[in-house]
Amino acid sequence: MRMGLVIGRVTLSQTVPSLIGARWLLVSPFTREHFQHGCEPPAGLSKDPSLVVYDNLGGGVGQTIGYVEGAEATAPFDGPTPIDAINAALVDEIFYSPFEP
Amino acid sequence: MLLARVEGNVVATRKHPSFEGWRFVICQPINNTGQPEGAPQVAIDPHGAGMHQRVIISSDGLAARKAVGDKKSPARWMIVGIVDEKEPGVPV
Repeated sequence: MRMGLVIGRVTLSQTVPSLIGARWLLVSPFTREHFQHGCEPPAGLSKDPSLVVYDNLGGGVGQTIGYVEGAEATAPFDGPTPIDAINAALVDEIFYSPFEP
Repeated sequence: MLLARVEGNVVATRKHPSFEGWRFVICQPINNTGQPEGAPQVAIDPHGAGMHQRVIISSDGLAARKAVGDKKSPARWMIVGIVDEKEPGVPV
């Protein structure tokens, strides 16, 4: 699971039947520097490319979420679903202490 | 699988029901010299890894789904082992 900041939402007018009425979040992924700021990440986008994440937990813009990528993103669905990123957790707290040798 | 170091944990109350009771641990992938490389992954932790411990994390969703006991869980990254020495006789 990777952390990311929700920076927007996406609405599809045309989509495959299995994804009709789905909710999509535009997410900017966290890099190592983001973790130091916990839930108030630095403004602006991260270096990594943003992505669209399927969401059924009700994530809002500005929230920090944990999303799962890859084939495991289709596990919660009954039939075959063409997605590769799903919102798995709405993050409340991040406790982070990097290791300085 | 990745060699990683535990650098924190994440609290999330609203999540997929299969994650109830599981610890979300921030694992920073490291290379053999211990330098961080790549973005941190958040893995579920069945072994209770402590802070700054080195662990092995696996992205096999099948084993993670078996561990959480839910066929429909989006679990992917999981701590599969805690490293105690890299080479024989060289404690971490």
